[in-house]
Amino acid sequence: MDSDLAFSLRGVGATAGSFQLRDVSLSLPVGYVMGFVGANGAGKTTTIRCLLGMQQIQRGEIEVLGHRVPGPVALRQDVGVVLDHDYVVGDWRLSEVERAVRPFYDHWDGRRYRELLEEFGLDMRAKVGDLSRGMNVKLMIALALSHQARLLVFDEPTSGLDPVARDELIGILGDFLLDEGHSVLFSTHITTDLERIGDYLTLIHAGRIVFTGTKEEVLDAYRVVRGGPDDLTDTVGVELIGLRRTATGVEAMVPAADAELLGSRVVVERPTLEEIVVRIGSKAGTKTGAKTGPNSRPVAEHADTGPTRSRGRRPAMAWRNK
Amino acid sequence: MKPIVRVTLLDLRTITPYGRQALVIAVLVMAITADRPQVVLPALILLAASVTAGYPFQISEKADLETLYAVLPLTRSSLLLGHYLSALATFAVYAVLGSLEAVICAHLRHVSFSGHEFAAALALSWALFALNIAVKFPLFIRFGYSQVGMLGTTIPIALVAVIASRAHLSVPSAAWLDLLAAGGLVLFGGSIAVTVAVDPRRLRRPGLAVRY
Repeated sequence: MDSDLAFSLRGVGATAGSFQLRDVSLSLPVGYVMGFVGANGAGKTTTIRCLLGMQQIQRGEIEVLGHRVPGPVALRQDVGVVLDHDYVVGDWRLSEVERAVRPFYDHWDGRRYRELLEEFGLDMRAKVGDLSRGMNVKLMIALALSHQARLLVFDEPTSGLDPVARDELIGILGDFLLDEGHSVLFSTHITTDLERIGDYLTLIHAGRIVFTGTKEEVLDAYRVVRGGPDDLTDTVGVELIGLRRTATGVEAMVPAADAELLGSRVVVERPTLEEIVVRIGSKAGTKTGAKTGPNSRPVAEHADTGPTRSRGRRPAMAWRNK
Repeated sequence: MKPIVRVTLLDLRTITPYGRQALVIAVLVMAITADRPQVVLPALILLAASVTAGYPFQISEKADLETLYAVLPLTRSSLLLGHYLSALATFAVYAVLGSLEAVICAHLRHVSFSGHEFAAALALSWALFALNIAVKFPLFIRFGYSQVGMLGTTIPIALVAVIASRAHLSVPSAAWLDLLAAGGLVLFGGSIAVTVAVDPRRLRRPGLAVRY
């Protein structure tokens, strides 16, 4: 067990209905934020459920805050959770929600709960069932942040939030991370959030980890190439990810190391995180027309050991500038 | 506070918003049986208490409280035992209500209702409640409330009809009452054992949040 890690999954395999997670390995050092990105159905929620002990795994092992999962019940004291749906009684008022969950937590901070609700513009007298999707997300975030958790696990927390609320959430997470013992796993479709807050990024596609590493490593791992309609037709040995060919031009993403193999006729650019997610998400349905060479392995195949465990400065600290 | 008590409080808080609904059922039962003090208590326990005890399961399905249970620092055994403790608390509340009504009705209508008759009604109510819970709870856990909801209401109705039709029979002896009370305890304990045993099998239900 490694106490320097907020969590780790090693070779995890799990089945959820017809969906399968295959050989999922990722880890996050204590004190950092990991963005977990992938298209709908890629396996983000299943991975998170495995991490939380809500989904039985068939292979591999999982550790959270130094404890093997399934771990002691007390471990739940240290994990704040926001899932992609709410799970409290719709007829409860927000004050009753607090009264319902408070007895279970040794370090429940009622003042923090009320402060967060106020910050989010939620009335303690409001009923859960009367809240909008975005307000429900805020309520769940307030619950997760009110029992002095050391690890926050958020599954699509910003999907129902307007830009102002998302900004507030990023700020609140920034405050949470001021304590170096705090860590966050944050799954989302909204990549701009991750560009602000993510230290590490993990990309998942079709139940497999495509990439896991620091944000800079992810951004450095790929290049977007653009050319005329006749370019990228004979790219032997280069994997073209998310190839799009039209009458006026062609564009694709390639592993960064392969970009120079494409010659000088194409324009090579560093992709945005969104471009990486979109192109990898569409990878399965894309015909690359290229053979796979020794230098064009999918990044996941040589990136399954998790991020480096350097305890130095956070790799990305944009949120601190808030 | 012990985890089981925390779960019981959570269950009671879960059903609190539906208290009015439970009260309506209770008032109806009390109104219908007001002229027969011996029947008030068993009827109230079976038609109101047994149904109310199932509310946490019903609401849990509606609000996905299984996920909440999985997120909270809480063992499955505490959760299951807590459900039974909250059923006992529900029984206690209705037993007090029913006892008061039975005594008041007997007094107002000048109907004989001795201490032994009261003890018989209470023992019978307890045994029937325990039987009801003993059957329903393992099924709720294993298959979910929505799969066995009808069974959960038809059993009490059938039982109360039988009791009402046989209410003229002589009151059982003290030994029988002891046997009824002990039988209820055995049923309750046996049901807990069965529930704990079937709980891991609910993992097979798709779409359900589980801890293992």
